[in-house]
Amino acid sequence: MNVWLQIADTAGAVLVLLGAAISLLGVVGMVKLPDVLSRSHAATKPQTLGLLLVLAGVALRLRSGMDLATLALIGFFQLMTGPVAAHLVARSAYRTGQIERGELLFDDLDAQLTEPGQEPGAGTGPDAGQEPGGGHGTGR
Amino acid sequence: MTGPETVDRVLISAAVVLVVVAGALLLFRISRGPSMLDRAIALDVFAAVMIAGLGAKSAFARDAFYFPIMLVLAFLGFTGSVGIARFIAVRDKPLPRRKSAGKEGRK
Repeated sequence: MNVWLQIADTAGAVLVLLGAAISLLGVVGMVKLPDVLSRSHAATKPQTLGLLLVLAGVALRLRSGMDLATLALIGFFQLMTGPVAAHLVARSAYRTGQIERGELLFDDLDAQLTEPGQEPGAGTGPDAGQEPGGGHGTGR
Repeated sequence: MTGPETVDRVLISAAVVLVVVAGALLLFRISRGPSMLDRAIALDVFAAVMIAGLGAKSAFARDAFYFPIMLVLAFLGFTGSVGIARFIAVRDKPLPRRKSAGKEGRK
C-alpha cells in the first residue's frame, strides 16, 4: 500500500510539473503572438489545461476529502469564469477596431455589425450584405 | 524512502521555476501590452499562473492553507479583465496599438 501512495505522490509531482510547463508554453505564446485575438487564443492554455493539470497533481498529493472538494471547486470556477472574460475582451476588441481585419479568414459578425449604421473599421460596407459563407472575408 | 521524496521535491521545484518564469514573461507583456485589452488578457492569465504557483507550493508542503486564496482568485480573477474590457478599452486610443502591431506583424 505504501508503494501505491509513493506512486501517487510522484505522479502528482509529474502532473504539477506538466501543468507548469504548459502554463509557460501558453505564456510564451502570449508574448510572441501579434494580435489581441491570437493572444486570447494563447491565453486559454494556462487558464484551462495547465491549471487543471496542476490541480490534479495537488489532488494526487493531498488525498483528503475536503481538499479534493476545494480543488474541484477551484477548477469549476476557473472553467466558469474564463470564457466570460475572454468573450468580453474579444467583443471589445472587435467593436473598438483593435483587430487586424486583413488576417481574418471568416468574419461572420461583420455583416451584422455594419448593418445598423456604425462602421467599426475599414469602410467597405454595403457589399458585405447577405452572402452566406462567401469569400468576402478574404477581400479585405 | 528518501529517494522518491527527493525526486518529488526536485520535480515540484522545477515546476515552481517554470511558473516564476511564466510570471516574469507575463509582467513583460503587461508592461508593454500595446492596448489595454492585451493587459486585460495578461492579467487574467496572471491570476491563473498565481493559482498554479500556489498549487505548486501546496503540493510541495502538503498543506491546504492556501486553498481559499486559490478559490477566491479563481472566481474573482476575471472581474478586473471584465472591467477593463467594458469601461477602459472603449476610451483607449488604438493609434499606438496599430503602429506597433504593424511593426510586429511584419517581423
